[in-house]
Amino acid sequence: MNFNGTFTQVIDELVQRVMPALVIVRGHRFGAGAGIVWDANGLILTNNHVVGRRTPIVILQNDHEYESRLLARDPDVDLALLSIDATDLTPLQPAPVPPRVGEMVFAFGHPWGQRNTVTRGIVSALVSAQNRRGDTLPVVRSDAPLAPGNSGGPLVNAKGEVVGVNAMIIGGDQSVSIAASVAKDFVTKVLARKKSEERTPVDML
Amino acid sequence: MSSNVLVELSDALADAAEKAGNATVLVNARRRMPASGIVYAPDLILTADHIVEREEGIKVIVANGTEVSARLAGRDPGSDLAVLKLERPGGVETVAEATKSPARLGQIALVLGRPSPNGIEASLGTVSAIGGPIQTGRGSMLERYIRTDSISYPGFSGGPLVAADGTVLGVNTSGLANGAAVTIPADIAWRIADTLVKHGRIQHGYLGIRSQTVEIPSALQKALQREQGTGLLIVGVENDSPASKGGLIVGDILVAVAGVPILHHDELFTRLDGDVVGKSTPIGVLRGGQPQTINVVVGER
Repeated sequence: MNFNGTFTQVIDELVQRVMPALVIVRGHRFGAGAGIVWDANGLILTNNHVVGRRTPIVILQNDHEYESRLLARDPDVDLALLSIDATDLTPLQPAPVPPRVGEMVFAFGHPWGQRNTVTRGIVSALVSAQNRRGDTLPVVRSDAPLAPGNSGGPLVNAKGEVVGVNAMIIGGDQSVSIAASVAKDFVTKVLARKKSEERTPVDML
Repeated sequence: MSSNVLVELSDALADAAEKAGNATVLVNARRRMPASGIVYAPDLILTADHIVEREEGIKVIVANGTEVSARLAGRDPGSDLAVLKLERPGGVETVAEATKSPARLGQIALVLGRPSPNGIEASLGTVSAIGGPIQTGRGSMLERYIRTDSISYPGFSGGPLVAADGTVLGVNTSGLANGAAVTIPADIAWRIADTLVKHGRIQHGYLGIRSQTVEIPSALQKALQREQGTGLLIVGVENDSPASKGGLIVGDILVAVAGVPILHHDELFTRLDGDVVGKSTPIGVLRGGQPQTINVVVGER
């Protein structure tokens, strides 16, 4: 069996599949973070701390730049959901089950401004981090090297499913990712609220 | 997506972490952060000596989260290994499986630990060096050691280095090389653990000589009737030491202990182990150009 060829090939396929969903989020005057294409019609998930006071600029892999709308942000889970006017995007799927300690993961992002990097690791620990409100939040710790600029990017498993949203800052720990379940809940809540707002006249809120 | 070699490798690594993780415990035997240990037998835990700061009231948390009391059964500060005895009838179910094939350079390996009650922790790397013997920071010789390029998280000392099949390649510790992580190979660690269980400690032999490595000229090698490039020239013998009582004198070139050729200091160190302590042991020397065997009752350091 041509093991080496096969192995290199499947990693290449994984990168080819995930990379289109990796975006740049420019939310501050200096520096930028990463973001994840969450659905085909322009939903972008990123870290709250990547989004500053300005309207974040989202740059896709084809170099198209979009002014995004901020749909919601939550510092307690360090997540923000943006929307851009784009269609036919290639989103990533969240993993249906939590990852196992030891399984392989790949972090995608733009550490130190280096665009489109992939770092390899394994799930080191499934732990809880405390946020400022004192709530505990499931996070995935990995030994994949992360640096500023990885924030908001995806941590994917060997199947290319999202197991976490990279965020270095929670609890002061290095190389942690917000569990995909938290991201999924956050997006679901934001979309549900948006839907009810659309049905409800604004003056009634 | 269908399975492929990457998914299979990923699953295998998670399986290995789970298998070895079930035999990896938390050891709370010091004031600062807890460390890790390996289930060596149903009622015995192999761990790092330097993390055991008390002999009684040790708490061990096993894979299913149960807390078990333990006490120190034996320790060897020289190799930084200790064995704890669980104070629970029946002990625990999952015992670690030591590897049958020693670590190879380049092999992928998991470093496992259980530094918190929340579950197993792991990092991945490759075996980056296999070396030895080396003098440890604890004044003893380690015959062989393994180094990896993986991250050792706090509290990983005493935990296992694990092969992709879930077998244990060795015991990780930061206590032997000035805080850097090294792994004591499983065969050595298990052998030391066996002795600790039987005797509670490891004996280190003592002769009482000072020596330096010297070349053995080819004429003397002929007299020795073997090719041996170096030996240890004895330059000092302590009064009342095992060496002086046995009759070793300054100027002898030590060439063998119990029939095993000794070329360097570290080989002498390794050879003077518990097997020879207290026993009349034949020491091969060259004296006046002639090979001689002198029996010395090896002392204990």
